[in-house]
Amino acid sequence: MIEGTLYDGATAHPHAVSVVVADGRRLALRQESGWSDRVEAGVLKRMDAPAGLLRLGRTDLPGWRLMLPAAAEAELSGLLGRHERYGRWIDRIGLVPALVAGAAITGVVVGTGYIAPHWIAPHVPMSWERNVGTAIVGDFGDLRCRDAKGQKALEDLVERVAPGATRGPNGIKVAALNVPIFNAAALPGGYIVVFKPAITETNPEALAGVLAHEVAHVRRRHVAEAMIREFGIGALIRLFAGNVGANAEQIVSLSYTRDNEAQADSDAIAMLKRAGISPKPTADLFTKLSKQQREIPGYGAEFLQSHPLSDKRAVKFSAAADPKAHYRPALSRDDEDALFDICSSRRTQK
Amino acid sequence: MESHHERAAAGDDRAIRFTGNWREYLPIAATNALLIIVTLGIYRFWASARQRRYLWSRTHVIDDTLEWTGTGKEMFLGFLIVIAILAPFFLFIQFLFPALMVRGKIEAASGILFLFYIALIYLGGFARFRALRYRLSRTYWHGIRGGSDDPGWNYGGEYLGRIALAAMTMWIMFPWAQTKLWNARWNAMSFGPLPFSAGLETEGLKARWALVYAAPFAAMIVAFMIIATLGLGMGVQDGPNPTIGGAFIAVLLLIYIAIPLATLHWYAKYYRHAAAATRLGDLEFDFDATTLQWLGLFLGNLALAIVTLGFGLTYWGYRNWAFMVRHMRVYGSVDLGDLTQSTTHAPREAEGFADAFDVGAI
Repeated sequence: MIEGTLYDGATAHPHAVSVVVADGRRLALRQESGWSDRVEAGVLKRMDAPAGLLRLGRTDLPGWRLMLPAAAEAELSGLLGRHERYGRWIDRIGLVPALVAGAAITGVVVGTGYIAPHWIAPHVPMSWERNVGTAIVGDFGDLRCRDAKGQKALEDLVERVAPGATRGPNGIKVAALNVPIFNAAALPGGYIVVFKPAITETNPEALAGVLAHEVAHVRRRHVAEAMIREFGIGALIRLFAGNVGANAEQIVSLSYTRDNEAQADSDAIAMLKRAGISPKPTADLFTKLSKQQREIPGYGAEFLQSHPLSDKRAVKFSAAADPKAHYRPALSRDDEDALFDICSSRRTQK
Repeated sequence: MESHHERAAAGDDRAIRFTGNWREYLPIAATNALLIIVTLGIYRFWASARQRRYLWSRTHVIDDTLEWTGTGKEMFLGFLIVIAILAPFFLFIQFLFPALMVRGKIEAASGILFLFYIALIYLGGFARFRALRYRLSRTYWHGIRGGSDDPGWNYGGEYLGRIALAAMTMWIMFPWAQTKLWNARWNAMSFGPLPFSAGLETEGLKARWALVYAAPFAAMIVAFMIIATLGLGMGVQDGPNPTIGGAFIAVLLLIYIAIPLATLHWYAKYYRHAAAATRLGDLEFDFDATTLQWLGLFLGNLALAIVTLGFGLTYWGYRNWAFMVRHMRVYGSVDLGDLTQSTTHAPREAEGFADAFDVGAI
């Protein structure tokens, strides 16, 4: 017989009870007042309690608690199931197997989520990607710089580095936006946007390098790849890593892998070479931006965020410059002027 | 019916005390951290249930410990339900907002974003209420639990209104908003048959709130005194002076430190007043943590995480709970015979909303 304390779950009053195991599968409880009860082993569960105490609850009566000295555990061991420790799904297989299995599954999920988009992206029809892009950007509305000559010069510049790129049903659509941030980006669906300072504060050769880099992202399907990655593994990790509210904002922001960035750079260098444009101005632009970033935090931050810029990248472009090559200007004098004025209001036409 | 009275006594015999220790908690902290990592974070719901089971079971109130009966599974399901409700909403906004921005429809985009934040604030208030209600409903003492019959929808509205009013007055009305909301929240809660009653007033809290506004100016004055002192010793020099740049950074730093410190100073007093203004039946509460003690807790947490290369993060919940309990006092008596089971509806969605908005319960 074990002496214990019972809460019946109806009031907070503690009752002194004596407990015996009856026919090996029930607990028989008895009070001095003559009250008695029998509890099936199946409904009993162990609750957490400080050392020295065994606390039992019932699955069918929420507030019912029986407190016994910890020593009673040996006597009751046949009646009590295993103590829930880590959660039932972990307890079932054991901690160490759970850790090993978890690590393996997580490795596969993360690995697949990170690598698979690279293989899937080339098979996503461009028309699907274009639908997404069109839904997001449309015709860019009022922000777009609509000067016809400037637009023609911008498209010519893309054609210079990537002949044929702007033609055909899946041709690249390039637009200048009147936004006072230094940035350029490839958007889903073959859209490339260039913000005003990237035109007015550079020269056509450096802009050609930047555009070639973005064209490479589009052609290599890096945009679709980044989208798949963000919506797949990116969303999954953010979801369970906590604080959905704050993180949901980032779910659709695209980011390329380091490999993709390096590949876009290599492609851009090759395109510049074929077009006979010096890669040196692009290198100088990168050097200037990363220097400004160090001196004036915030300037060019947007560009650097989407295109992690290191001195290494500048060196790569710089090294590609051939001192013996006969480089030609990226645009004619007239086209350069037109491009420079693409966002000027006096020449804007709706 | 026999009745059973217990009265809090002084010294070690405090009515509420924490009996856990960090060595005993170590296996829980370590296995929780490992399981969270290998499950990409999914285990965190079970981890938090385990943590609470331990902390509650080591919190002694009068003659018995508290007990946490919430499960990881219900918190996980609650989270999934909330995600299912919120995800389409978030995704819609995520596409609509950039689509409007890129078309130059700045007004429409700002309008949408404004409505979005209004909805977020409302849901944040609602989440805080539901989290408190959920935690009380899963907290047992002597086999009796707490809860609330109020679903919290109105509280969300009141929260939105008061926060909006505070924001419109440059946060001057913030102490009124906070005290009224504390009362609204706790007056809707109960334990067993006993309702909580909270009558928190802004009396004694207004001057400290004014300090938050005074802090940046005080910081600037201190900084200028430093500059003046340095300036005297420098003499006349040509060219840019590096100490001026340094002093400018010092001013900024001081402001960045002064405002949070003043805010903490306010919260320390707010919580002391709030506990004293809240009752449960005949039970009265007292909370005595000072600003320095709060600061010690936060800096201690930070130092622990840094020294242990991040593992210390798993002890933050433990340290915060122990801090709350150690600074808490309970006075008065409970009639155990009259403390009958709560008849409130036990919510099923757990803390999904609170989890999604990352808000605490108290």
